[in-house]
Amino acid sequence: MSGSGPSLPGEVVNIDIVVATIRDSSTEALLRDLQRMRNRVKYVWPVPETLPVDTDVIFCDLVPDLPSRLPWLPGEPKAALVALMAPGMAADLDLLRKTAPEAVLHRPFTTAAVLSSLLLARSRFTYERRLRGRLTKLDGTLRSMRSVERAKTILMNTRKLDEEEAYGFLRRQAMERRVSVGAIAAAIVDSNDLIG
Amino acid sequence: MITAQERVSANAPWRVGVLFSYTGYMALIEETQLRGTLLAIDEINAQGGVNGREILPLLYDPASDPATCGRYAKRLMISDNVTMIFGCYTSSSRKAVLPVVERLNGLLWYPTLYEGFELSPNVIYTGAAPNQNNVKLCRYLMKNYGTRFYFIGSDYIYPRESNRIMREAVYRHGGKVVGETYLGLRAQRSDFRAVMREIEDLQPDVIFSTVVGDATTYLYQSYADAGFNPKVMPIASLTTTETEIYAMGFDVGEHHLTAAPYFQNLPGDNNETFVRKYKRRYGEDQPTNMCAEAAYFQMHIFAKALAATNSTDPEILRPMVLGADFEAPQGKVRINAASHHTDLWTRIGRVNRCGQFDLIEQSLSPETADPFLLAY
Repeated sequence: MSGSGPSLPGEVVNIDIVVATIRDSSTEALLRDLQRMRNRVKYVWPVPETLPVDTDVIFCDLVPDLPSRLPWLPGEPKAALVALMAPGMAADLDLLRKTAPEAVLHRPFTTAAVLSSLLLARSRFTYERRLRGRLTKLDGTLRSMRSVERAKTILMNTRKLDEEEAYGFLRRQAMERRVSVGAIAAAIVDSNDLIG
Repeated sequence: MITAQERVSANAPWRVGVLFSYTGYMALIEETQLRGTLLAIDEINAQGGVNGREILPLLYDPASDPATCGRYAKRLMISDNVTMIFGCYTSSSRKAVLPVVERLNGLLWYPTLYEGFELSPNVIYTGAAPNQNNVKLCRYLMKNYGTRFYFIGSDYIYPRESNRIMREAVYRHGGKVVGETYLGLRAQRSDFRAVMREIEDLQPDVIFSTVVGDATTYLYQSYADAGFNPKVMPIASLTTTETEIYAMGFDVGEHHLTAAPYFQNLPGDNNETFVRKYKRRYGEDQPTNMCAEAAYFQMHIFAKALAATNSTDPEILRPMVLGADFEAPQGKVRINAASHHTDLWTRIGRVNRCGQFDLIEQSLSPETADPFLLAY
């Protein structure tokens, strides 16, 4: 679909953005670019002790203690982070690695660089969030497998069922109670552990 | 500045990608999925589209080649700006599309039975998982035909993974796999002669087939040529549908068995309407099948979700799809929110003289999809 004028992917419009950097003409341009894309932009300065968590993207100066100002654990970001670099600022690679931003943006901010960093940060963030979601589900599946195997053994021993009957029992219970087989199995394992 | 979404005028069509092969060795079955897809789109558009906008399918022919399928998925998402892709038959083609839809955040609607053990946030699976066909079929075969199985499959991911599951079920019930052979996807008629000789020697009780594509015809015809009796030693399959039976000849297919959520022969108004419309559009002699049916109902489920969200952004549409139910030709089905798979009916059919499946067993309600076989 091509036409006249720029078109923006849905990932970078109508989102919440926090900007934390010193206010100068370059920052004004950054704020204007972000607002023009119909984003809700909140400006804060100086960089707060704890950056807000209820936002989609954070543009923030790469201050030395930035990692400790982020309200999440490394690897579990709650928002996409764009690290802002001052002109002539030496690249502190160790700090960058520990901060783990989704993108980097150098002063002075040009519209092209702002858009690029915003898009990359958002698309990397949402992709990784989907992958983490997939991993969480897989981890849950593995746990359920273990629970089901243990529950099956318990059922075979306590109710004198064969393997097939034990699986059937778990499936029926799950269906009747409208919960997952893993949840039924975990409940059986837990209550059996209590009785010991 | 305006967004890509807003650029589209209020009555511009909803563009969706469609990836089924209409050339190559998988064309026979994939073309029926294409037909099911287009029939549903026609129905939706005849009703005025979705929120006043037609659904416009962008069709590409992967020509039975998984790598091509991946490249077309890329083109659809990058050049055509499409987020919804309806397609793929073989597991190899699904796996080629998977990284594309995961990275660029699309949604692949996959209307084919497969081997399970997958759960992507970017796929909606509407064909049967192994617990909805393998497991029941195995039990039925052991009870009615015997315990000695011979496995024959096409040589790619699905048959090998599916047979791993089937082997486990056979052994658990005290049965035995006496032979196992895989032939290339482009196997020819002559390749099956050696297989028939081996079957003659081994004398299994059941031949379990996961052969797909054109080779299906050669398998069943070679079996008939070898003079075996399908009433005593049938070929049981998860992939042979009315369409393959039509291609091989009704006399060749008669008495053989398939497990599937859907057969053309099923009673019910929804199915009668579906079959009537399908035949009217594609020819009176053209049968429907489980793959065409899944392709058909998944498009309707998509359209219902789209009507509610008015957006093809997967982040917005996905929550409406998960948990949705639909009165499909096979009966009521539901997209299982936990697994992204579909709760479907389990059925076993036997081919009759007219190339249709007589229903010999079915579940009392839709079977909950259990793609990781947690409870089996």
